[in-house]
Amino acid sequence: MSPRRLTKVAVSATTLALLGSMAACGSDNTAGGSGGGEGGGTADVWALQDTTLNPIEEASIQRYNDGDGPGSVKLSTFGNDPYKQRLRTAINSPQAPDVFFNWGGGSLKEYVDAGKIEDLTPILDADPALRDAFLPSVLAGAEIDGKQYGLPMRGVQPVLMYGNKEVLTANGIDGMPATWDELLADVATLKAAGLTTPIALAGSQSWTELMWAEYLLDRVAGPEVFQAIRDGEGQGWNDPAVLEAMTMLKQLIDAGAFGTANDFSATEYDAGGTTQLLANGDAAFHLMGSWEFTNQKGTNPDFVSAGNLLYAPFPAVEGGAGDPSNLVGNVSNFYSVTSASPNKQAALEYVKTQLNNPDYVSELIAAGDVMPIAGAREQLAATEDGDYLTTVYDLTENASNFQLSWDQDLSADEATKMLTELSNLFLGVQTPEGFVAAMAG
Amino acid sequence: MSITQSGTPMARPPASAGPSASVIGPKRRKVGREKPNYLAGVLSAIWLVLVVVPLYFMISSSFRTRQDYLRDNPLKLPSSPTFENYQSVFTGGFGRYFLNNIIVTVGTVAIVVALVVPAAYAVARNPSPMVQRGFSLMLVGLAVPAQAVIIPVYLLINQMQLYDTLLAIILPTAAFALPVAMLVMTNSLRDIPNELYEAQTLDGAGALQTLRNLVLPLAKPAITTVTVFTAMSAWNGFLFPLVLTQSAEQRTLTLGLQTFSSQFGTNVPGLLAAITLSLLPIFFVYLFGRRYLLGGLTAGFGK
Amino acid sequence: MAPVLTFFGVFAVLPMVLVVYLSFTDWDGFGFPSLSGGGNWSRALQDPEVGRSLVLTLVFMVLGWVVQTPIAMMIGVWAAGRQRNRAVLSSIFFLPVLLSTAAIALLWSAVLDGNFGLTQQLPFLDRFSFLGDQSLVIYTVAWVLTWQYVPFHTLLYQSAARGIPVSIYEAATIDGAGRYKQFFRITLPLLRYTLITSTVLMLVGSVTTFDTILLLTNGGPGTSTRIAPLYMYITGFGAFEFGYASAIAVILLVLGAGLSLAVTRLTGFRKMSSQQEGS
Repeated sequence: MSPRRLTKVAVSATTLALLGSMAACGSDNTAGGSGGGEGGGTADVWALQDTTLNPIEEASIQRYNDGDGPGSVKLSTFGNDPYKQRLRTAINSPQAPDVFFNWGGGSLKEYVDAGKIEDLTPILDADPALRDAFLPSVLAGAEIDGKQYGLPMRGVQPVLMYGNKEVLTANGIDGMPATWDELLADVATLKAAGLTTPIALAGSQSWTELMWAEYLLDRVAGPEVFQAIRDGEGQGWNDPAVLEAMTMLKQLIDAGAFGTANDFSATEYDAGGTTQLLANGDAAFHLMGSWEFTNQKGTNPDFVSAGNLLYAPFPAVEGGAGDPSNLVGNVSNFYSVTSASPNKQAALEYVKTQLNNPDYVSELIAAGDVMPIAGAREQLAATEDGDYLTTVYDLTENASNFQLSWDQDLSADEATKMLTELSNLFLGVQTPEGFVAAMAG
Repeated sequence: MSITQSGTPMARPPASAGPSASVIGPKRRKVGREKPNYLAGVLSAIWLVLVVVPLYFMISSSFRTRQDYLRDNPLKLPSSPTFENYQSVFTGGFGRYFLNNIIVTVGTVAIVVALVVPAAYAVARNPSPMVQRGFSLMLVGLAVPAQAVIIPVYLLINQMQLYDTLLAIILPTAAFALPVAMLVMTNSLRDIPNELYEAQTLDGAGALQTLRNLVLPLAKPAITTVTVFTAMSAWNGFLFPLVLTQSAEQRTLTLGLQTFSSQFGTNVPGLLAAITLSLLPIFFVYLFGRRYLLGGLTAGFGK
Repeated sequence: MAPVLTFFGVFAVLPMVLVVYLSFTDWDGFGFPSLSGGGNWSRALQDPEVGRSLVLTLVFMVLGWVVQTPIAMMIGVWAAGRQRNRAVLSSIFFLPVLLSTAAIALLWSAVLDGNFGLTQQLPFLDRFSFLGDQSLVIYTVAWVLTWQYVPFHTLLYQSAARGIPVSIYEAATIDGAGRYKQFFRITLPLLRYTLITSTVLMLVGSVTTFDTILLLTNGGPGTSTRIAPLYMYITGFGAFEFGYASAIAVILLVLGAGLSLAVTRLTGFRKMSSQQEGS
């Protein structure tokens, strides 16, 4: 490009910007972008970039487009971090998606409250077979105020406790702890045997620390306490159970279960740190989402195939009000339809017909997803990792409550604050009382 | 400021077209004949180790398999070197990111140079208070970090329907490179003696002709500096690509490195291969145009 | 002048004005910003994290200057020598200049990784948790910044030192002045302008540690390295409190503009060409 032409481009761009900016504060915050809501009845589906998942999603869309449903569908994918940011700004604009990927729970509720999401209850009412196709505890993840705002589009990902069998056996520990006291005893045994970090913790990513708080509060007091916090009801964070759970957590931290702050605070999960620590035997336990199995299998196949990777639900707390069958984690991911969608017919028909499509389900199962589809158990059992996948399936089916990760269930600002305070608690610069005060304040 | 968004040590050289270091003649030889300076020698040796060891670690580890990386002594040469990391970096989209980086860099430099030369000429030659005030206004931007305005820039780019395009990176990057570029350019043009301008006027040359016949040739060193600086800040830019783009198609190299880092997980050698690859093109520029590159960086400081 | 001002106006000045406006609004990304009076500002004044992150920004500024200046000056003066080995070595010294900030931050996070990093394989260094220790991490970040920036400043000092006429040193040698005396009596005073330049660049540049810290520590452990720009970023693009984030951004903006003014006024940077030593 010649400098002259560039100048021209620059000048016209600036003029355009000036005009645009006049409206920037007052009017619609349009988001430009790759999505594009062109006509022709093509519904735009937004999902996360995922090398395993995207081809399966594409195939599902292809199936729809090959069928005789109204209009057509196309896929746009986004990186994890920018996704929420993009969705926020685009949802008000003509570039809004027609169908979008979400985590359900409180983060979806923000959109529902803003009047952006189509109620899918009538569809389920009209088609009870569709409702029955999904596991109820999972469907509940996108149920807000008694209405269904999304349908599960991939596997469940509850948080489980993982263990290294060799390390446990070498220290005379027989299997995974069933109760909190057993866990404390195991930690003491392992510490005494010279293991610096009995439990691997990826402390640089505080959502891994959050898993401990989520399970402890649930085991101590049941799911209602957090639900009240989320809904802004009752005592909220001031509920004594929160302090009790945080104090128990503090005891575990102070017992050196995760090593010292220097050991865990820079360890990353994304970079594979804790996965490796467990496999190497530098840690005996690791609390992580069910995807950890796939990760271990990918990075340490020998460790997994030798049967050294143990898994179990989070221990029960004696005398606690919570049902030990309760799970926390990513309930599933959901597809929701935007209420302002100009291609609503295609969008609704797509989520209605394709998410429990047998091909879609079996492709996801082959990729290691535990699909929350009634009757998927047989298919799961037939796979190479049948034992593990059916365990996850059964836990999910039998869970009396499946709590979505708090950071997805709270509004973004509260979640951010909570993660900061929690990471300070783990570092020892915040007390359980201080945590409660900061969150309640 | 380029300094700000790039995070590279960008200077703001008042590029007076003075004698550069390389011009200085042989009469300096004598300094070298003194007795050796042990203190400086030892310090330099320590610094050498601190610079070389991480770079050696980076390159040697990039040829290890993931297993070897966890097993081997990191300071030894790889026991069984492999190119697989480089392969996976390329299949991971490195070429695309690289191309995007070049487009962003070239685009930014083109805009900055095209805007700055005539503007600096105006500041240097036109004493009108409007022009001078405009210049002062730009200088206030010298130390304003790009982070401070990223939210409104994000709004603007959205408003202009430019989100997730390379132009969305180029435009603000260029704008924030302007204050430095203006300063360098203006100071350089001010150094042109008045008589030369007057001679042009006497010859009946108009402003445009003067620009072409007199200003451009004499401003070459300053243009070089502006080019090198702007190019480095655009090449290294991180914040604007981070906030203003999202798709893999528009990803620049710096952002790509971050993507590799989470994508590769425990595969540290893969990440190190990506970093090494990102260094290579500049390294070749450095090999063949070291004087030009380093000279450009410090022009105007070298007096 | 008009095109450049328009361009700068749209992409730099207009955002500066807008960010001030936004700091008086509430905006969570849904819908439109709504005016909220001084709410964000009274919150910012009460938020201990704002003060802490600003102090931390200042700490990195000062720490950076104190560590980098002597190293850059010494190596620069040393590298100014014309010996062949010095030329070769200094071309190696400058290598970090070629790496992007992102590359440097990611390289060092691999080197310093507390479990699998290079430092964990080396004697003595393996006892430190460079990125995990809350009291150590500030120095770790300062070191990475030093590694990144010193080469450039070395270059400045090198080319300035080469510009000092040899005759001055010759005269001093005749007068019997030793090496160190020469350094403090001749080199240092004659490098004062470079010192100012380099200092200015370091101060301005240290507002930019954003990318390095984001990639190296992400502000952690906890909030140990959460400098003001990062706090602003997390508030805006993590918590979607764009209004409050804008208030923090305005503080940064004012500090930056103040620094620019101070620099251009105090050092005469604006018209430096005619004031350099030796000209």
